[in-house]
Amino acid sequence: MKRDEPENLDLLAAEYVIGTLRGGARRSFERRQRRDPFVARRVSAWEERFAQLSLRLVPIAPSPEVWAAIERQVGGGSQRRWFALAAAAAVITVFTFGWIVWQETRPPQATATLASEQGAELWRVELTARGDELEVAAVGTVSVPGDRARELWALPEGGAPVSLGLMPATGEARLALNDRQRAALSAATNIAVSDEPAGGSPTGAPTGAVLYVAQIART
Amino acid sequence: MHPGVRGLRILDRMAAETARAEDSEVAGLLAACARQDRQAFQRLYERTAPQLLACLVRILRNRATAEDALQDVFVQVWGRAGQYERSRGSAWAWLIAIARYRAIDLKRREGRIHAEPYADIDDLPGEDEPQDALAALGQRATKALATCLAALQPRQRDCIVLAYQGGLSQAEVAGELGEPLGSVKSWIRRGLAALKRCLES
Repeated sequence: MKRDEPENLDLLAAEYVIGTLRGGARRSFERRQRRDPFVARRVSAWEERFAQLSLRLVPIAPSPEVWAAIERQVGGGSQRRWFALAAAAAVITVFTFGWIVWQETRPPQATATLASEQGAELWRVELTARGDELEVAAVGTVSVPGDRARELWALPEGGAPVSLGLMPATGEARLALNDRQRAALSAATNIAVSDEPAGGSPTGAPTGAVLYVAQIART
Repeated sequence: MHPGVRGLRILDRMAAETARAEDSEVAGLLAACARQDRQAFQRLYERTAPQLLACLVRILRNRATAEDALQDVFVQVWGRAGQYERSRGSAWAWLIAIARYRAIDLKRREGRIHAEPYADIDDLPGEDEPQDALAALGQRATKALATCLAALQPRQRDCIVLAYQGGLSQAEVAGELGEPLGSVKSWIRRGLAALKRCLES
């Protein structure tokens, strides 16, 4: 086969792409690729095909210094611009931090305590001051079989129960509320916990036994 | 058609569409880089650097050297973003090619980078045998290459996948596999020819 036959050039392109074409042959193939659009297209085609193998590798997060070094090398904006940005960032940080502290220290809108029939406290539930999250803390010993879950419901007056999320067996959880959940909660005087399959009720309505009910105390 | 099969086809199509949408996002970021948009450059980095670092680590077998190479690659990408043409191929393939050639070049020039054995590198990328890589590939929207690689003779496939992923020369592939250089050369050559026939059929 002659060196310049398209068939042969295509195979050389493949060897170039997988990297086995080395030394002088690699350099001269690179020069050829720059001036011969046919060769350049063949190289692109192989690169495209083999890229799929590269995309299969498990990504590795680079250390933060790499980006910092790149930014330095491609030259950032003027010093003054960076200073202005840094100052703005500092101001935003202080305000955000203050806002968060203020939010966190405001008393909750409503609270409820779920207890066993024997009166042992199991969970404390608080509606945050902003009313967009429930903070749930498991305060007693709750044992849940591995294939089951405990799901929290708002029981709005005259409406169907609305799921508020899954209860933690231990520790604390924050359950974000959407508009529907907020509306259900504000129309409810009680919340309840039901026994559901792991992952929660598949139907959107309680499917298992209602285990605990608690009254909502609004503050 | 069996409903399950139809479901799979739909999933394949969705995967392909997702891949296209993702690629056009990366292509868009490259176009913005060509207009000197630094924010886009940072987003491009955040979006693609981990995957490119995985390619570099696999070839250079040294995390620190690979991170230096990653830096070079992105400086190059910033300078050359305007050269990327969408009609020529995907943005991902373009980026991967820049990263891999950079790594192969470094390896050739420095020759004796302290190569950590694969098992000693943190966050080691898919340590699979080539065959496993293919099995997994079959599940993705990379049908053509996967099918055609799978159809090769096992030794041809091992050589090609090892050379590509590890950026190995023919002699290095021979060393890894414990096979004579002459056999490796002919497996690669014939394997690539068979791959070409299969991909074009």
